[in-house]
Amino acid sequence: MKRSLLPPVLMTVLIVALGAYSEARHSEFLGNLNLNSLLLEAMPLILVSLGQASALLVGGFDVSVAALMTTCVVTASYTMTPSMSGFALVPGALAVVGVGLATGVFNAFLIRVLRLPSIVATLGTLSILEGVSLLLRSYPAGPINSDATTALNSSVSFVPLAFIGVVALAVLADRWLYRTRTGLALRAVGLDATSSRRLGMPTGRTILLAFVVCSVMAAIAGFYLAAEVQIGSPIIGNQALESIAAAVLGGASLAGGRGSFFGTLLAALFLTEIDNVLPLFQQPTEYADMAIGALILLALVLYQAPDLIARARTARRRVQPLPAKAFDLGSSSTN
Amino acid sequence: MSIPGPVSPAVLSLRGVSKAFGAVQALRDVTVDCRAGEIHALVGENGSGKSTLLGIASGFVSPDEGIVEIGGARLPRDSPALARRLGLGIAYQDYSHVLGLSVAENLYLALPAEDRPSYRRMHAWAADTLQGFDLDIAVTAPTDSLSLAERQLLEVVKALLTHPKVLLLDEPTTALGPDAVDHLHALVLEQARAGAGIVYVTHRLPEVLGVADRVTVLRDGVGQGTFEIASVSEESLVALMIGRPLEVAFPERRAPHADADVLLSVSGLHGERFGPIDLAVRKGEILGIAGAEGNGQVQFLRALAGVEHAAGSATCDGAALDTSSPLGPLRAGVVLLSGDRRSEALFPVLSVRANATVQVLRRLARVGVVGRRRERTAMEELVRRLRVRMASAEQPIQSLSGGNQQKVSLMRPFLRGDVKVILAEEPTQGVDVGARFDIYEALRAKADEGVATVVKSSDPIELAGLCDRVIVMSRGRIVEEIPHGELGERRIVEAIVGSRARPATGEGAPA
Repeated sequence: MKRSLLPPVLMTVLIVALGAYSEARHSEFLGNLNLNSLLLEAMPLILVSLGQASALLVGGFDVSVAALMTTCVVTASYTMTPSMSGFALVPGALAVVGVGLATGVFNAFLIRVLRLPSIVATLGTLSILEGVSLLLRSYPAGPINSDATTALNSSVSFVPLAFIGVVALAVLADRWLYRTRTGLALRAVGLDATSSRRLGMPTGRTILLAFVVCSVMAAIAGFYLAAEVQIGSPIIGNQALESIAAAVLGGASLAGGRGSFFGTLLAALFLTEIDNVLPLFQQPTEYADMAIGALILLALVLYQAPDLIARARTARRRVQPLPAKAFDLGSSSTN
Repeated sequence: MSIPGPVSPAVLSLRGVSKAFGAVQALRDVTVDCRAGEIHALVGENGSGKSTLLGIASGFVSPDEGIVEIGGARLPRDSPALARRLGLGIAYQDYSHVLGLSVAENLYLALPAEDRPSYRRMHAWAADTLQGFDLDIAVTAPTDSLSLAERQLLEVVKALLTHPKVLLLDEPTTALGPDAVDHLHALVLEQARAGAGIVYVTHRLPEVLGVADRVTVLRDGVGQGTFEIASVSEESLVALMIGRPLEVAFPERRAPHADADVLLSVSGLHGERFGPIDLAVRKGEILGIAGAEGNGQVQFLRALAGVEHAAGSATCDGAALDTSSPLGPLRAGVVLLSGDRRSEALFPVLSVRANATVQVLRRLARVGVVGRRRERTAMEELVRRLRVRMASAEQPIQSLSGGNQQKVSLMRPFLRGDVKVILAEEPTQGVDVGARFDIYEALRAKADEGVATVVKSSDPIELAGLCDRVIVMSRGRIVEEIPHGELGERRIVEAIVGSRARPATGEGAPA
């Protein structure tokens, strides 16, 4: 099997397996109502994880995304109030996207111009945004326009329209990443920024764009979070680490340059599914956290299995007497 | 004594360029121009500012002062993308490959965006391109699976793909065997004939004297003048580079002791790309390993150091050598000087001091605490002896020039004191003439103390001048042994060519 196919295939298998198990235990799992709520519940994490994947592709992290989502929800509670209707909501929605855009540019400025490591830079942004959210709403208040939230949640049968949208987005993004010149350039910048700059590629602009995309996706995720909580709450977003987990489970490399948007989408869906099914079994959520951690480790081990197997084989050969000819040690040579 | 040449326009012109890195003045008011159709050699010792000059010309480094003009147009700011658009192509000494991508993808990225074929046609186009350059490299291969020689040729091909008006080559032959060098020179001459200007930076004077039209010498960041090639000789250039005539290029050899004890003995050693090999190296002997690149020399050397896996047996000073990990050889006093300084031999961000003493901290420590003064003292004498050029022992080693870095890694066997065998892989790769001599002298001094030394080098002159005996490897086996009395550049090259002429079985060296 091609290595890049492993993450999406593994995620699909896990999603189906967990679904089948849950259905066997509780027949309501596959009901339209539950599937619909599962997919809607997954939307914020899917969107923010797709953004996170783009930051990971250029070799960075963005830990400020969850705080940004919260800030966006709080902003929406001012700019998208229940008294508005129709096109009056558009400027309010643009304001929320604007918050994301501004945060992305700010992050990119810290990383590209001030040369801060992305994890430290976005940690600073995270604190600032948390403070901003609390400043705007010190406690949950300000209902969010229900026309907007209803529109966001509109579905065909049990499938939310927005879910169809993100699937299409992820598939197109992957095609772009692996089948086009600019996608190749992005991966090159993520793999080796110095060589890319030497080859005349706009590395600074690429990294800036990746972080802006990440923040804008987080802002859009904020809409879906708003649709879920429906009120300006300053203490809700906690998807920062989960979004990194989803991107990595989806096949992204922490070193940059590798990843899959569709794999990320599936992984985000799977992580949400775990959260979703646990109440069915009346298990406390601690198990969910432990399960997520164990699964991430397991998946990473699996993704690296080809390397590990090669290494194990080498180790075994070293103990045995060697045949003089067939001597294959994998790819350990440097010359 | 610059002679006005025929009236061809300058395709690259650097005027009054200066650059300082911290307290080090890398370049001071340097003016160079390269005309269309000429091959312009740029020579100078390590740390003389050649790489900085190329960095400025290519837009990768911004000068403190001075003007860069490419094809008559001024480069307004430091931007490799802009320099490329103005018509500059460069082959970097440490390459510009994205190692996680395939050969085809790397070639594709090297093209100017408007010249790129559709993404679908990338592989076919890349295969055609490589064939056009007579290179036998699989386009789907990951770049990190290529040999150093293949990477180096690929780097030059990438620079040529932009059809540059001016082509900068930074040490383009360090990993190449003799006929790959000829191949490269043919490509370069073709470019010059087509009207491109070539700036050729190298340490190998004979090579560059053979192809260049003019030569500019740099010393300590200051231009020493530009000369027609007919008006200079190797000796006069070396004298300008180091500021004194270099009479002896190699340290004196003592008469070889045929009856000295065998220190390192190898029997039936074989690994992925070499063997089986039988070999004995005596006390005080420097043994050279010659051969075209990619014939298992490096793997053999690394296997002896326990870095590469191998089977068979080796003994050091009579005791069996455990080569299953680097620990065994290190404990037995077998030290590898890796040719890959950046990623294997050194800790680039650590200080010169830390790099020099990292293997002997126990000896410098009392009750577990390293005495800074003891450490300094141990080092300072070696800094003088090996003539390491640095501002301070605390500066990160990556800020030293290549030759000085190599000298620091050579300090380790000196500091250890109990070293029995030194395995040196390309000990003077990317090192200038003056520093080369210091390194040869250091290796010879260790040999005279009774150390057995094995030197793998792609430079036949170096092998002939430094070694007591040279073995020639081809396709992983020893095909010829050249005794002391017969050593000479010609003899070694002939042996390499001879062994390569035999029928091929495995994968050969690149064209």
